[in-house]
Amino acid sequence: MRSGLETWVAMDRTAIAQGRTEELVIEHQTKLARYLRRMVGDAEVALDLTQDVFLSAYRTLQADPARELRAGWLYRAATNAAISFMRRRKILQVLPLDRDLDRSAWRVDEHGAQSVDLQAALARLPVEQTAALLMTSYAGYSSSEAAQILGTTADAVRQRVCRAMKTLRHVMNEDSLS
Amino acid sequence: MKFASNCTSAEILAGAIALGEAGDEQRHAYREHLSTCRRCLATIGGEREIERVINVVAQARDQEQWQPDVRRALARIPARRFGWRWGVGLAAAGALTVAILATQRHAPVAVRSVAMPDVAAVAALGTQTMPQREHRAESLAFTSAQTARATITFEVRLNERGKPARCTIIKHSGRASLDAALCNAVMRAH
Repeated sequence: MRSGLETWVAMDRTAIAQGRTEELVIEHQTKLARYLRRMVGDAEVALDLTQDVFLSAYRTLQADPARELRAGWLYRAATNAAISFMRRRKILQVLPLDRDLDRSAWRVDEHGAQSVDLQAALARLPVEQTAALLMTSYAGYSSSEAAQILGTTADAVRQRVCRAMKTLRHVMNEDSLS
Repeated sequence: MKFASNCTSAEILAGAIALGEAGDEQRHAYREHLSTCRRCLATIGGEREIERVINVVAQARDQEQWQPDVRRALARIPARRFGWRWGVGLAAAGALTVAILATQRHAPVAVRSVAMPDVAAVAALGTQTMPQREHRAESLAFTSAQTARATITFEVRLNERGKPARCTIIKHSGRASLDAALCNAVMRAH
């Protein structure tokens, strides 16, 4: 039997942080970047923000290599980064506050009969509702877990999800009429 | 979770239904509210409508094609800006083996036998300043029904005599008993 095998790696604090950050990147980059893309509506911006999140994780680990960083930490950092970005953009934008920057729409064929541009629908939502909707039904967190990540209560998350759905439903019904 | 005595509560219930978190009682309360509230019926809809709308998000997620490569993007960042660069610094300084054989039935894992590396040799790998080290250990836990594997990342601080002074689990295995067994074994090593 293989007697268990390990490579012992002598590393300084920086290398430990680097190694652990790299593990986080490998494990979470796709989901996190996709989540951010849907939050901000732009792939390039999402990629930048994702990098920022991992660099922030790296710095945190560098300061404290024993710190436990889980997916929730990354999503919290990602959500905060997205919210800051969108608020900044709203301030900077003089003309229409549309968030539909992504060149490609995010169309969903609903039961093959109807196509819904979900990205356009998300662009109409307040950022808190977008975060609650994506954190739960997109990233797969429960309302309690999402509440912890977003710093609110589970009921508030449920309510935001419901309000987001109202808008989404409205858009879906508009699309089906047009 | 409160029950639907008004539209705000109904929104919370509808959110719970959408997320699959509502029990029969909550679903019933929501239906009760809908029977008296035309506004919620019009804006949120019934349970089937809630599921139809939320399913669009799930469908969209399942249809995602975008494969971002953040790692590649990070590698392009100048090292001077962040003080580090991907892909370097993972130089192995030595190869040693750790195996924990643990037996578990219904009780916590007990260490049956431990093969530990020569800690003095590890000390010799480092500098005189008692550097922190990362040790990656693969622990094997055998149960009567299945074999479980876990990877534990831990840090051992050595004293001036090269003996373990402190063991910190950096990345947990998910089983507290395995983590504890590993640290116990490390601390006992000479």
